[in-house]
Amino acid sequence: MRAYVLRRLLLAVLQCLVVLVAVFAVGSLLPGDTADVLRGELGTPEQVAALRTQLGLDEPAWARFGHWLGDLLTGDLGNSLTTGVPVGDDIGRRVGVTLLLGVPALVLVTVLAPLLGTVSGLREGSRLDRTLNTAAVVLHAVPEFVLGLLLVASVSLAAGLLPATAVGMDTAALLAQPSVLVLPVTVLTARHLCDLARQIRAGVAAERHGPVAEHLRLLGMRERTVVLRHVLPGALGPAAQQFARCVEGLLGGAVLVEAVFGFRGLGSGFVEAVQNRDMPQVQTYALLFAGTAIVVNLLGDLAAHRLAPRRELTA
Amino acid sequence: MTTHARTEPGRRGVLAAGGALALASSGLLTGCGADGTDGGGGDRFRAAFTAGGSQETLDPHVAPNFVDQARAKALYDTLGTYADDMSVRERLAESWESDASGTRWRIRLRAAEFHDGKPVTAKDVLYSYRRAADPDTGSPSQVLLSAIDFEASKADGERSVVFTLKAPNFEFPTVFAGPGTEIIPDGTTDFGKPVGSGPFTYVSFTPGGTARYRRWADHWDGAPHIAELEIVPANEESARLNALLSGQVHYAADMAGASVNRLKAEGSTRLLTVKRATAQQLLLRIGRKPFDDPRLVRAVQLGLDRQALVRVALAGHGEPGNDLFGMGLRGYPDGLEPRERDVEEARKLVRQAGANGLKITVETSSVDAAWEPAADLMAQQLREVGLRLTANTRAASTYFSEIKTTGVAAFNTSSTLPVSDFLQQRVRGGAARNQTQYASKRFDALLERARTTRDERDRLALLARAQKLARDGSGLLVWAFSDANDAIRTSVRGLRAAPPNSHDWARFDRVRIG
Repeated sequence: MRAYVLRRLLLAVLQCLVVLVAVFAVGSLLPGDTADVLRGELGTPEQVAALRTQLGLDEPAWARFGHWLGDLLTGDLGNSLTTGVPVGDDIGRRVGVTLLLGVPALVLVTVLAPLLGTVSGLREGSRLDRTLNTAAVVLHAVPEFVLGLLLVASVSLAAGLLPATAVGMDTAALLAQPSVLVLPVTVLTARHLCDLARQIRAGVAAERHGPVAEHLRLLGMRERTVVLRHVLPGALGPAAQQFARCVEGLLGGAVLVEAVFGFRGLGSGFVEAVQNRDMPQVQTYALLFAGTAIVVNLLGDLAAHRLAPRRELTA
Repeated sequence: MTTHARTEPGRRGVLAAGGALALASSGLLTGCGADGTDGGGGDRFRAAFTAGGSQETLDPHVAPNFVDQARAKALYDTLGTYADDMSVRERLAESWESDASGTRWRIRLRAAEFHDGKPVTAKDVLYSYRRAADPDTGSPSQVLLSAIDFEASKADGERSVVFTLKAPNFEFPTVFAGPGTEIIPDGTTDFGKPVGSGPFTYVSFTPGGTARYRRWADHWDGAPHIAELEIVPANEESARLNALLSGQVHYAADMAGASVNRLKAEGSTRLLTVKRATAQQLLLRIGRKPFDDPRLVRAVQLGLDRQALVRVALAGHGEPGNDLFGMGLRGYPDGLEPRERDVEEARKLVRQAGANGLKITVETSSVDAAWEPAADLMAQQLREVGLRLTANTRAASTYFSEIKTTGVAAFNTSSTLPVSDFLQQRVRGGAARNQTQYASKRFDALLERARTTRDERDRLALLARAQKLARDGSGLLVWAFSDANDAIRTSVRGLRAAPPNSHDWARFDRVRIG
């Protein structure tokens, strides 16, 4: 087990490196650079060239990447090309917002998905199951931003129950008025809840009719025990990996939900960085997202292994 | 783009396409909006804008976006200010006059104070202008200010400045109202806690975040009616709309398309619609093939159906252009016949130029929602005259820097600004932002004569003659003027629809709530 984890962590470092190289390569393929964006139409070619030199953008791409990577090894993420301040500053301000949205959604998904999935799976084909299933399919088909706008229109604008947007609110203001978070967290939860609950439901249904469960029943084990000891762990195992993807999605910033509700989290920050061709910032986001994804997936795999040990661990 | 200030292209938001659909459905769902719960309570006024993100500063001389202009208006004053027709009115300057040659300008300042209690003096004006004239500062008015010979310009007492220009210019006062020419205290280099002489004092600001201001009771033009002002960022149009509809903000800038229709049906809000706010342009690069052949420029001018373009690409929210910037502004020539479509003549010109079936690429982008539909319709219209137009869509945030050098045809927009300014910066031969590469000695000579002509009527007559030349030959086709929309809660008084860059646009010190 320990060897496995070590192997996976080593692999994770490699994976991060691959992601960073790929992001840098793609970023270099985008038209224009920060000098173009900052000077816009106003700049003369000489001014743009001067700014390019000043920002070090006239160096070859591989050299810039090398510098950035070298600094990274010493713990320095570099400075933003657009603002000149350390990239951590802006990202730090945004992490709080993303956590305020992501963590409650995550808690809700963690509690509700196993509950709904199990209830549904155990009563496969019942009216409750069909209702939940239909709801999940419908909800899943609605794009996040449409769901967000519909909720705002009905709950906030028509009924006046909750604030419509988080426009102009920083982390402190959000903490002071958490009702702002209800709708966006609902949208985020809905998406991931559907995915996960449906998977758990399918798992529960399959395990319940599987040969192992049948065998245990023939041995005289009570249904309750069959479900708790065998069906649930069997269904939750594969779901742990789906759950990891859900964590990754929620903590990586929610571009659309942030846009609809006017939040300034990691999602909008990443979009901004790409638009500004601010590569140190883009790279830092990439590192953050890739790192989160890798760690969370590793934990997911370990959990899956714990819940259903017959699944093999392959690095 | 708008020459002076503009909404940053890439910030149009991630929902651009799908948003309209969802907005339409949200309109169906809510017969009525939230009742008058005006955000913040009391007299704190909140205004939502598309913002520039983490590179924003409160340095008024760096003002790339409309939101920067709104923030600058709160904290600072300029010497002059633009009326709706872009003529210049006095502001911090009480009066100005030139010598007979138009080279030396004396400006008298009114009695005014900065927020720290120090008087606004000639020294501050000289410092501010010198700083904004430095290309490294990045002021949108840098080109205009570079006409000043700072070595020869000087203070004459506390409240009088004498500017000496490098060349005579009777249109020089347009610079007094230019964005990025705000007066800051002599020696200011840090804008962390900015001090200005504007109607509001600084409270707090984070780049890309909320800017807070407090009423300044000692402002020379009278204290604002509201106690506090907040300028909040909301880059997504639907977020600005919903914040306004629910009463979280009192003002939402830059509404378009489906939001406008939604707001029209809404009792708790009011639209501020400015006609002819944006000049929609098609730039034909006449310095390059194929548009170095004037017959093809003419063929495009005659081949476009401007009425249809307004109907389709602008969804009716605008009016046809007449291939000239500045309709309705001071200096726009009177009595021009509208450009009528003439397919036959255009087809003949294309054939004469030996260009039948010629493929032409037009550069476009999502910067302006009208461009891509306009490009499609223009392609249909020009196919009838024998030209095959195809659109090349470029990334929004680098669009303007790319089209400076690449391509033969491109879309562009300008918001309102003085006509003489536009001609100097966009149409004069060799001007840095003359993208069509028009270089007409006759046009340049007329512009030069206008600049050195003291009598205003003569000057405007010369400008009119220059514009008629440029209209046919410059390759800069203004095919339409589109409306601009901001929106307010009905409880807001003291704001009216005013053109971008003008005095009354986003002027929150005259606002009252309730």
